[in-house]
Amino acid sequence: MTDDLDTLLQKLPRRTTPASLRARIERMHVRRREPRNIAIALAVIAFVAVILFVSRRTNQTSPESPLVAEAVNDHLRVLYASHPLEIESGGIHQVKPWFEGRLDFAPIVTFDGDADFPLQGGTIAYYIDRKAAAFVYKRNLHLITLFVFQSHDLPWPRSDRVASETRGFHAIVWRTGDLGYALVSDVAMPELTTLEHKLH
Amino acid sequence: MGSLATDALAHLDALFHVARYLTGDDASAEDLVQQTYVRALEAETTFERGTNLRAWLMRILRNAFIDQTRRTKHTSELDEDMPDDRAEPLRTDLAAADIERALLELAPDARAVILLDLEGLSEKELADAMECEPGTIKSRLSRARAALRKRLAAYGRGA
Repeated sequence: MTDDLDTLLQKLPRRTTPASLRARIERMHVRRREPRNIAIALAVIAFVAVILFVSRRTNQTSPESPLVAEAVNDHLRVLYASHPLEIESGGIHQVKPWFEGRLDFAPIVTFDGDADFPLQGGTIAYYIDRKAAAFVYKRNLHLITLFVFQSHDLPWPRSDRVASETRGFHAIVWRTGDLGYALVSDVAMPELTTLEHKLH
Repeated sequence: MGSLATDALAHLDALFHVARYLTGDDASAEDLVQQTYVRALEAETTFERGTNLRAWLMRILRNAFIDQTRRTKHTSELDEDMPDDRAEPLRTDLAAADIERALLELAPDARAVILLDLEGLSEKELADAMECEPGTIKSRLSRARAALRKRLAAYGRGA
């Protein structure tokens, strides 16, 4: 209920906030936000960096790396050759010596194959512009080719490893010192990665 | 929902209006409002989201004002705690300057509760802002209004 006191109080003019005060308060607000914004920006940068790093390490989305594309092409040549294997496997100690005199480098491969990935044999192949040793392993009914070649003068990523899928094939290409390795097959990437670990 | 700092900006005009009549001059009101925002931002984590931000800010403003008046002792402690049993009709042709002067003669808390009531705060919001039990806010407001009425009546009589 309004009485005469309320009537008088309503006469008090509305005081408006001076522009200078409003500006000061808004500046306080902005200054307060800046550290938070910087923190958010740093968090975003860190997040992107981690994503890029992980992406580079796994490279699941690597767009048509020439190293991968070449590995798949060479794998197909091995598969469709009239005699895909020039040396049938009697174990790695039979296959590796077979390359002597056929290559100008010694492929370093120690994995002899096992029940999951039996070694089928080997052959001479070409990887881009150079000769390569091709070791063929099997996973169930799928063939997996491991190319070993000299690693110089190739477009390696900074991580020295690229893994990707192209045309239904998976490939992992990496470099260890002077030698490059390309593992390629139509088996799933996790299985290919398992074999990669056995090869290291 | 924005940040507390953003939301608090929406109450700047109300805070300045109350501060201006609490302190009696623009410069002091500006200092008080700025102090209020500084305190509010420092105490941001103590504000419960979903509760009344306006009442929370007004409480900070009122506390800052009380602290200020305790330091400066500019405001006289008057008798707003005495119930006014001599209410008489007020002259409604008093000037705004007289009303403001009468307000400034009240004790800080009496002035605060009247101004916050004028801002349309509910009883609960008033109790929050004045930091008292909801059951007592009505009587505090009533005493403050009575004290103001007494002064205004005196102006009406040419005092």
